[in-house]
Amino acid sequence: MPAGKKFHFRQNRSQLPGFGLSLGLSVAYLSLLILLPLASLILFSMNLSWREFWTVVTDRRVLAAFRVSFGSTFLAATIDLFFGFVIAWVLARYQFFGKRLVDAVIDLPFAIPTAVTGIALATLFSGKGLVGGQLEAFAHWFNTAFSTQLSFNIAFSQAGIVVALMFIGMPFIVRTVQPVLEELDKEVEEAASSLGADFRHIFLRVIFPGILPALLTGFALAFARGLGEYGSVIFISSNAPYETEIVPLLIVMRLGEFNYEGASAIGVAMLACSFLLLLAINFLQTLARNRRSA
Amino acid sequence: MGIEISQVSKRFGDFLALDGIDLNIPNGELTALLGPSGSGKTTLLRIIAGLDTPDTGSIRFFGEDATRKRARDRKVGFVFQHYALFKHMTIFENVAFGLRVRPRALRPEKATIREKVEKLLDMVQLRGMARRFPSELSGGQKQRVALARALAVEPKVLLLDEPFGALDARVRQELRRWLRYLHDEIHITSVFVTHDQEEALEVADRIVILNKGKIEQSGTPEDVYDNPANPFVYGFLGNVNLFHARKELTPNGGEIFIRPHDISLSARDDSGKGIPVRVTTHRILGNRVRVELETREGENIEANIERKDWNALQDADLSALYCQILQGKIHAPDNTWSNYVI
Repeated sequence: MPAGKKFHFRQNRSQLPGFGLSLGLSVAYLSLLILLPLASLILFSMNLSWREFWTVVTDRRVLAAFRVSFGSTFLAATIDLFFGFVIAWVLARYQFFGKRLVDAVIDLPFAIPTAVTGIALATLFSGKGLVGGQLEAFAHWFNTAFSTQLSFNIAFSQAGIVVALMFIGMPFIVRTVQPVLEELDKEVEEAASSLGADFRHIFLRVIFPGILPALLTGFALAFARGLGEYGSVIFISSNAPYETEIVPLLIVMRLGEFNYEGASAIGVAMLACSFLLLLAINFLQTLARNRRSA
Repeated sequence: MGIEISQVSKRFGDFLALDGIDLNIPNGELTALLGPSGSGKTTLLRIIAGLDTPDTGSIRFFGEDATRKRARDRKVGFVFQHYALFKHMTIFENVAFGLRVRPRALRPEKATIREKVEKLLDMVQLRGMARRFPSELSGGQKQRVALARALAVEPKVLLLDEPFGALDARVRQELRRWLRYLHDEIHITSVFVTHDQEEALEVADRIVILNKGKIEQSGTPEDVYDNPANPFVYGFLGNVNLFHARKELTPNGGEIFIRPHDISLSARDDSGKGIPVRVTTHRILGNRVRVELETREGENIEANIERKDWNALQDADLSALYCQILQGKIHAPDNTWSNYVI
């Protein structure tokens, strides 16, 4: 049927107008804003030979910084995942006095200059700070009581980095999980309870699978944001090489030494690692989603 | 004995959803809760299920007080209008859910669960769909899965909240007949909520008509249709023509209720009791015809006549016909009914 064939071709095209224009704009915008700078970074790092590149990124200090960055960010995003979920749950499920205020406070980490966060946290957790002082007293008591040499220092240690990244990452989890929790069909839970399920079963078998993709998205966002965080971390961390030095700081230091190739090489390595991680999370998400609509 | 509901009231803010409901739902019967939206029928069903708690009153299941029992301990099967299936589970997992969440001591063996789920899927005619996900099923199929899921836990009571409300007309009709057959087979005490009087008349053993949080009437379908307790029930169970009764009929005034199919049309007034009317519009509904008439006084009457009777009027002057009233009921202000004798 030759006539039908032509019609079929037209039907396959999107009914929504403006596809060409909007896709063109999207690609152009993404290219200019994201791909072009990243490509120039990679191009610039190519001034180094493979051998030189490898020497730079496998330097002990660089590897230590990677360990600090990825380790702290992973820990912070994981802690945020739990508490962010609890906050989202409270906001989505309960009505209470001051709910709107709490809801507004969640977004503050988005807005505050990160350097301010860093300074505030450093002051709070330092030995003379409100929380830090208490911790120091506790450490003293603990160490004398159990004759140990433990440190409960948060400021100027890796724990401080984790705290700063938790602060930065929290809203990403809450804001991705909360709307999904609000959208969950109440009747599905009622169906489960009329079938004899207790809350534990309803949560594990009905609610959790429904919000798993959102939890993963929130985790990925918090993680990605944490890896790139610079401002707050450098104030709360002691920035000691091999111990509390994060990758972004190392890049800034290389730039300070006018070692542009070195900085770009570390940047490219960071980019590759982050990209692979986000890809992996994306893959997990697809798995979680496919369970639902395969 | 079945379900005994006594003095149940429920208020949502300023809205009184249920106002002192007393109702016995007999064992093994299929009961319809019929009423317009906002009449409290769904609230009553949810209270029976334990999904809502009554402000006052009590519910007894088979002689045992269930007012304080939680939904999960009531052993009721609940079917929702919008299916409420578990989207991330296969059809098999959906039906097996109620058995799998039982405490270990009461949980059947895996093989027993499998056998039971397969039997239920056979019963709802969804054999072979076990590995699909709900999103791959049509509305009618989803509702059958929901029914199988509810029946899997062998509930003592099956509750259905507008179970066919989201389906298209054909599937709805098919499914409600099938529900009737199913009930004739398994005889589980069932209550379903509907706003569709036709559905209630077709499916139920007993109909309970609710309005504004109160029970207007309850009885068998014939009973409520033939002997409606009040004008609301009369009007709700089918279309009706309403006239003010003349003084000769009811001295204190009153209203005459006449169903559209209790009116016939003819070209000549042989009996001498016909009312002269003219046809304003008509609509052919398959084998019946809905005719709108106007009397000389300007009153509108709706008639619903057989197609062959309409065809017989082919050559008649449609602006000068006579309508005969075959039967009707007079409702007096003291809430008594009498037959309209022509």
